[in-house]
Amino acid sequence: MTEHLDRRADTTRVQILRAASRQFARKSYSLVSLDDILADAEVTKGAMYFHFPSKYALASAIIEHRIASARTSIDELLARKLSGLETLIDISYLLAIEDMGDETARAGLNLLQSIGRTDGLQEDVLGQWVTAFAAITRKAARDGDLIADRDPEGIARLLVSMYLGLRQTSSLAQPERLLHDLENMWLLVLPGFVKPDRIAYLNQFIKRRTAVALKKATSL
Amino acid sequence: MVRQARSEATRRKIMTSAVELFNEIGYPATGLGDIIERAEMTKGALYYHFDSKESLATAIIEEGSVRLAEAFRGIAASSAPALETIIHGVFVVADLMSTDQIARSGMQLLRAFGEFNDAAARTYDGWVTEMTERSRQAIDEGDLREDLDPQAVGETIVSSMLGAELLASASTAGADVLERVARAFKVLLPAIVSQESLSYFDEFLARESLRHSAAPAAD
Repeated sequence: MTEHLDRRADTTRVQILRAASRQFARKSYSLVSLDDILADAEVTKGAMYFHFPSKYALASAIIEHRIASARTSIDELLARKLSGLETLIDISYLLAIEDMGDETARAGLNLLQSIGRTDGLQEDVLGQWVTAFAAITRKAARDGDLIADRDPEGIARLLVSMYLGLRQTSSLAQPERLLHDLENMWLLVLPGFVKPDRIAYLNQFIKRRTAVALKKATSL
Repeated sequence: MVRQARSEATRRKIMTSAVELFNEIGYPATGLGDIIERAEMTKGALYYHFDSKESLATAIIEEGSVRLAEAFRGIAASSAPALETIIHGVFVVADLMSTDQIARSGMQLLRAFGEFNDAAARTYDGWVTEMTERSRQAIDEGDLREDLDPQAVGETIVSSMLGAELLASASTAGADVLERVARAFKVLLPAIVSQESLSYFDEFLARESLRHSAAPAAD
């Protein structure tokens, strides 16, 4: 009996999260009202407050959800056992595709950039992101792809900053443009830390990834 | 529930012991009695799970094939072009074959039973189908020459990889399987890869071999 109830509560929670993601993916945090979410989720106010006491709690839950799903995607990519640099490039394309076509993914990053700034959440999440990228960058160094004495942590920070900037300056609604910008970004930064004799191959790798991504990408 | 878990543990124990013995003294020389002794089981426990040495071998072939197929599917993400997946996948599978006892023993039994065993036919068919499908995709993506027959490419890749594994098994007990796989691809790729993609795949293969020949502490 309780199990049954729990499951129903779970469904309600998922329903609310989905509706909220739809809203937060398309509108900024301050423009989304709880009433919009209630109407979209088709749940009562009571049910909503049972799961999420505030708009802020709801937003944090979406960010958490996004972090968990990004971690799964990244683990899957790591399981492919490619070289460190190829893995970093693949991750950037994967994040871009999810950011363009998946509501929770889009909402998660939108919210992180708008509400996470003041309460340490952004610092915490981006810190984890940088740490994960730095570990993969160190693998790239062991693969022999990096110029000696380049700092993996610094490279990781640069890559994270660039993607977060790219999603603002380019257009998530136009896959062709965003992927083109992402490709350009990689082609421009690689010579900053990759050994000159590895660049020709990686440039081709990037262009091939753009071609595959263009076929897969969808937009909200 | 508990009983089921214990029964599964027993089954594993029997399989592992059998694999050890097959590796040490070979399949023909291994008797069910040796397996029972090694696994420290009763005859009844073994017969409960396997009614003959051949059914035990079949189970090892199947388990080994599943592990190899899972390793391949694990890396076959859709974000990569098909020919990259084929090459990278073959390396990952070959690597697993040299490190995973059951996968390795499964391959050897597969060879020993070849035409007499359904599991063997299913396994080979499965690989050819998989590689044919990916070859078709690689032709569409422009990485393989468009005048090629995907089925022929799939069969050729599977045959040359099985051959490389066979030679490695025979001459170095499997130790140099990755080098042999790399050499086989080096000869094969110029024959099937399109002109535009050849230099890229040359480099792709070089990086792949380098990565796999690096010290195991690479991670």
